[in-house]
Amino acid sequence: LSSLPLQILLYVNGIYYIFYFLATLAMIIYKSQVFSYPDDLLAPDLAVLFLMAVLEVPRSYLGFKGNLTEAEAPLGLSLGLTVGSVVLCVYLLLWQTYVLWADVLLNALLLSAYGLESGLKVTAIAAFVS
Amino acid sequence: PADIRDAAQTRIRSPPAPITDVARLCVCDLLVAQCDVNCCCDPDCSAEDFSLFTSCSVPVVTGDSQLCSQKAAVYSLDVEANPPERIFKLIDQVNPSIFCIHATNYKQALYLKSPEIPTPENFDQLLDKFGGATFSAEPDSWNLDPDAQNPPDANETSRYEYGAPVQTEDAFLRLPSPVVSSWCSDANPAGFLVNQATKCIRSVSVEKCDSIQALSMLFYINSSILAVPKSSQMVNITVQSIVVQSLNGMRTLLSSSDVLRLPMVLDGLCINAVLGVNYHITHTDTGEIIEAAAAFVLGAISKEALSIEQSFEISFTQENTQPVPLSGNPGYVVGLPVRAGFQPQGYPFPAAFLNKHSQLTILHSTSTQDCLAAHGARAPVLFGYNMISGCKLRLTAAMKCQPLAQTLLDVLKGQSFPEYVASFGNSQAQDVLDWVPITQLLVSEQMISHTLQSSCQIPVSLGIEVKWTKYGSLVNPQAKIVNVTATITTTTLKQLPSGRERIIPITSSVVFTDISSPAEPSYKAWPTIDIKLPFDFFYPFV
Repeated sequence: LSSLPLQILLYVNGIYYIFYFLATLAMIIYKSQVFSYPDDLLAPDLAVLFLMAVLEVPRSYLGFKGNLTEAEAPLGLSLGLTVGSVVLCVYLLLWQTYVLWADVLLNALLLSAYGLESGLKVTAIAAFVS
Repeated sequence: PADIRDAAQTRIRSPPAPITDVARLCVCDLLVAQCDVNCCCDPDCSAEDFSLFTSCSVPVVTGDSQLCSQKAAVYSLDVEANPPERIFKLIDQVNPSIFCIHATNYKQALYLKSPEIPTPENFDQLLDKFGGATFSAEPDSWNLDPDAQNPPDANETSRYEYGAPVQTEDAFLRLPSPVVSSWCSDANPAGFLVNQATKCIRSVSVEKCDSIQALSMLFYINSSILAVPKSSQMVNITVQSIVVQSLNGMRTLLSSSDVLRLPMVLDGLCINAVLGVNYHITHTDTGEIIEAAAAFVLGAISKEALSIEQSFEISFTQENTQPVPLSGNPGYVVGLPVRAGFQPQGYPFPAAFLNKHSQLTILHSTSTQDCLAAHGARAPVLFGYNMISGCKLRLTAAMKCQPLAQTLLDVLKGQSFPEYVASFGNSQAQDVLDWVPITQLLVSEQMISHTLQSSCQIPVSLGIEVKWTKYGSLVNPQAKIVNVTATITTTTLKQLPSGRERIIPITSSVVFTDISSPAEPSYKAWPTIDIKLPFDFFYPFV
């Protein structure tokens, strides 16, 4: 049986991610105007943000598909992509050029959402396999 | 000794480390080893000094206030205690904004950049980076690095553009001009299509006359001009005419301008020294120079002269065109000459107004003030400038009336007094309606009633009144000449007893009168909706 909490969480996560992406992009633009942000430090930060956005699309889709079709392969793939997203999120939390307090809040929230999602995915995979 | 030198060198190489601890930072501590007044953070002050302070000039020392939490040193004076003492507190200052910097991985973000200390190794590189923006007066350095300028496309440099320096074989066409002071500088390039006239002073001496390059004709014509920039096509500068000016200012045009006259010392004078050069460059409409000619004024320098004034001019003409100087476009510009001309006989038109050599002129007062010795000096009438000039006529008994009247008329009106005046500054000769005829009036000074008809009348004054109006839009009115009246006032010449002389003044004047009616702003009419029903609108019923 498909996991309802996982479905709800995937849905909420998708919406939250859109907000997170726009907010982080706006804050990077704000930082580049207000602080001294040389181009060779701005480029990696923007690259990480866009890479995370690119990863989020298949990750979310595979999660939905796997949960609804009760198949463990897509869910497993989605879990793998989640690990990548977590790494990028940790980068934005700790190793960004300027980490504002708002950055800390957004990233912490995203990390906790990913963590909860991963946990639910593991239980779902266990349920589908057995 | 070697260690000390190395240590000294390393000390010079790196600047002192910046202080970042707020407890040790004190901006009001200016005097070394002495207590600064009212500086609560000064380590040189003792408790007795603090008791004499009235307030703290620096109450708080913090780092960058955009950090979320940072240390701050707070200094204050406790005036309640006896004696007053200084209180120093180290607190954590919190920035409540949600956009405060929590952490930064970029160390230089919050501090000013330490400058690079010049060493023998990086000196050249620093000089290239920061030592620029100096003006070099040497013409050689101009052409030496063509790559430093923006590398142009091959098509772009195949023609001259407005303002581009006219290039010659070695550097560029020089138009000496005063830079900063009035002394001539030879490093001023002539710009393409930029008509310029400059005057400057050059220091000379008669002994070194033939060695000063700028006094010789060769200096101005020896390098040929490139027809297009960066090409190998050359245009030689030909000598158009040579005018020789004598020491008293009289100029003579030489008949043959082929012979190159170089300066030389003769009888204590330096002759054939260049006093003025006038370049005429002919170009095509695609920006290529096809002809260049120079007209020289050569003069003599006397032994006492330490400096001479040289004047230079350059003008550009497009090939196969005759440039006509306009006095405004379309309205007259104040200060430019009023254009005038004649209408050749011939009806019907084509009437072409010969206005090349006939200008509206008035008598130019000379220093001698003698009308009969005036030598025909005339001044052009400039639009908007009221002018008055005159001379004195010495009447003797021997003078005959008619020739005198004719001479005075010539003196007042000049050799060719025009018949028509252009109403706009850019009136073309073909537009007949754009030209205003000059009305000539003859007024007698005295009443004719008690003088006989046959008595002699001689003209004594010419008054030109130009009536002009403002034409066109309210915000940019153009001056248009509407009416020109030339009034000649005559007086009777009374016969003088022999031996007596009389001096009468002769005057000529130009007055510009503005007859424009006050402007009425007019507004566009409201748009009307014109609806008419077709005639068979009510067809079945009507």
